[in-house]
Amino acid sequence: MTTLARSIPRTVKEIRFHLCQTSPASRGVRQFILSSYSGIKASNPDLKFLVREAAGVEPKAFVRWERGVESSTGLSGLNEKDVASALNQLVNQQTVGKA
Amino acid sequence: MFARSRFVARRAIKFGSGSRTLSTTLPRRADITLTVDGKEVTVPQGTALIQACEAAGATVPRFCYHDRLAIAGNCRMCLVEVERSPKPVASCAMPAMPGSKVFTNTPLVHKAREGVMEFLLANHPLDCAICDQGGECDLQDQSMRYGSDRTRFHEITGKRAVENKDLGPIVKTSMNRCIQCTRCVRFANDVAGVEDLGTTGRGNDLQIGMYVEKVMDSEMSGNIIDLCPVGALTSKPYAFQARPWELKKTESIDVLDAVGSNIRIDSRGVQVMRIQPKINDEVNEEWINDKTRYAYDGLKYQRLTTPLVREGDRFVPATWEHALETIRHGLINSGAKGDEIKAVAGHLADTESLTTLKDLFNKLGSENLTLDQPFGDSPPATGVDLRSNYLFNTGIENIEEADAVLLIGTNPRHEAAIINTRFRKSFLRRGANFGLIGETFPSTFELEHLGQSAKDAETFFSKPGNGTFAKIWKEAKKPLIIVGSAVMETKDGAAVLKAVSKHVLANQARFLNQEWNGFSILQRAASRAAAYDLGFTPSTTSSSVKPKFIYLLNADEFDPTTIPSSSFVVYQGHHGDLGAQYADVCLPGSAYTEKSTTWINTEGRAQLGRTAVPPPGASREDWKILRALSEVLNQPLPYDDVLALRDRMWDISPTLVRYDSREIPSVELTKLGLQVLSENKTSQASGEKFKKPIEDFYRTDPISRASVTMAACSKAFTKGDYVPADVDEGATAQASYA
Ligand code: SF4
Ligand code: FES
Repeated sequence: MTTLARSIPRTVKEIRFHLCQTSPASRGVRQFILSSYSGIKASNPDLKFLVREAAGVEPKAFVRWERGVESSTGLSGLNEKDVASALNQLVNQQTVGKA
Repeated sequence: MFARSRFVARRAIKFGSGSRTLSTTLPRRADITLTVDGKEVTVPQGTALIQACEAAGATVPRFCYHDRLAIAGNCRMCLVEVERSPKPVASCAMPAMPGSKVFTNTPLVHKAREGVMEFLLANHPLDCAICDQGGECDLQDQSMRYGSDRTRFHEITGKRAVENKDLGPIVKTSMNRCIQCTRCVRFANDVAGVEDLGTTGRGNDLQIGMYVEKVMDSEMSGNIIDLCPVGALTSKPYAFQARPWELKKTESIDVLDAVGSNIRIDSRGVQVMRIQPKINDEVNEEWINDKTRYAYDGLKYQRLTTPLVREGDRFVPATWEHALETIRHGLINSGAKGDEIKAVAGHLADTESLTTLKDLFNKLGSENLTLDQPFGDSPPATGVDLRSNYLFNTGIENIEEADAVLLIGTNPRHEAAIINTRFRKSFLRRGANFGLIGETFPSTFELEHLGQSAKDAETFFSKPGNGTFAKIWKEAKKPLIIVGSAVMETKDGAAVLKAVSKHVLANQARFLNQEWNGFSILQRAASRAAAYDLGFTPSTTSSSVKPKFIYLLNADEFDPTTIPSSSFVVYQGHHGDLGAQYADVCLPGSAYTEKSTTWINTEGRAQLGRTAVPPPGASREDWKILRALSEVLNQPLPYDDVLALRDRMWDISPTLVRYDSREIPSVELTKLGLQVLSENKTSQASGEKFKKPIEDFYRTDPISRASVTMAACSKAFTKGDYVPADVDEGATAQASYA
């Protein structure tokens, strides 16, 4: 996961995860958080990485870039690896031209 | 008289003795079945008969019985007939028996009730017309329903007369009206921890009082006013203000601490007349503290009612348009860019306005979202990524199960009085043990003082020694560590959290499992958990920037030196307190009684407050002010109504809009959070002593500081300077009602 950790652009200010405490659809996201949290935080100490658990919610990742621009992606049922690549894609989306 | 004082202070288990052998889960009790008025009911064994009757739908009148207090059984109003029992029995003092046949509606029962009523009224003054309890008096209601229609008593000597007691600035007494139910005594002893409210004398001479002339110094004293079934104890600040039937009742949430007590705001017209507790077993049961109850008069004074713009050294009232334009110019002229634009979120900021402010500032390119607390300019020691790192994970309701509690740098009595009452309960009922590292305080339970500083905390975990508490701690089945919010406001915050998290992880099996989470942070500001949930915190880079434009949202506790004199300052809030003094523009917001907003309590529970009265003058709901400002600053936010705003809050964190429930972080992520804390690179814990964050319980925020009642309480209780009034003035006048 270190590749992902390093590839997060500096314009990303905040990543948020929604997931459910128990549902199988959130299992991949949870695994991803457990295994990559420390690595991502170590190389991006100023990045907010908000993990928000709520029963029954659809697992999702939100990214906030500079100037409050946000986008999100659903992570329902994905396994750990797919979560990582979905996130990678999300943070490196170049549609946000302001960076 | 018949009234018997059967009350015995119940302290079943003494400190440190035998408590550890108690089983930690309540044994499930078998059910029993009995018949009430021909109807079968099934209740758990050990239920009081009065509750079994209630369960069967039969109302039984009562005065002394209260389901949250010990049983006294001395008023005899709850008499019912039980088959094969020679006389009527007091249903509150009698356990329900399997197979018994109970009657609540027979001639015998009616006669018994009539008789009891007659005795009670024989000595009760006939002053209903001038009694504040009128309209919500149990004696009045029950004498209408169950009493006889005439009296046989014509006492030549007049009725019993009892001297009034002066219990301080909150509780007004009129002891002639007392029916000696001892509810107040049981509450004071068992819940509030004031062991010197008691009874003297017996029979007709039984009196309620403090034994000697002194005030009732408790932050929970207002509750005895609610408990008193008659008008013997009424409210001084509310005396002769209103009758209950004139009041509009609005259920809402208290914001003067982080407990989120459920309250009922009673208002008349545009004025809040009083605040009463609303029952919520998971939070405040049936109690509220005196600040929650009596700070409301502060809502009338020192209010900002119109936008103000500074001209030289005075404020000039302005229109909203002018004020917002001035802010736009202020922002441009200050030349502030990026993190030089700084927001400060105060204790009383609601979640909606925090969300709006964060979105607006992010749009302006700033990450400098700070909190109104010492070290609020740098990222909090707990971090905000994982919720379990900053919440009261154990849950308010569950703390009663803890068998050993370690308090670090906190005085729950003042930071969360409701939580403190639960501790007193577990101390009395289960013999829970308590240890404290920090500044001492007069506590309502026995407490072993283990140290003063972060260093002492570290030592306690590494070399606990052989003290009584240390021994209990090692074996506790449900240990609980509570770290006070003030600890994170010192430079030792991270070091303490590191020591604590290491200890918790090393003893995982006892601290963290599906049923128990023994790691809790106790917040004391109503807005704090919401700010953390939202990620309303600064980044390390932003904290080193010198701000040029500062937005104070309800911030009144900051250190004025953190505001550079060259910066442009906006204050948004409802009171002219500290924040407004430093502002260039003041925007009048609404107080918690005037808006319908979300509050997240220290457990992370989302609750919705409701509007009881309209905001005064030109003031507006806070999030709408920020929404309007975003328009003026040409950064319009994408929500126009509160529903769209709550959708946005869901996108930030679903927990913010899951009302009335608590989203508990999973054990795995809680462990991850602790691991993060335990691996923190921190400086050595210092020997600097922890300080209580609240010196004066009655004056902690702009509302209570503006309140006259709170000022009187502060004088009487915090400073101990109270001159009792001549309580029997007007005694001659009262005698004529006898
Ligand atoms: S003062 Fe009120 S609550 Fe206390 S014993 Fe008398 S009637 Fe009961
Ligand atoms: S309610 Fe049963 S004796 Fe008072």
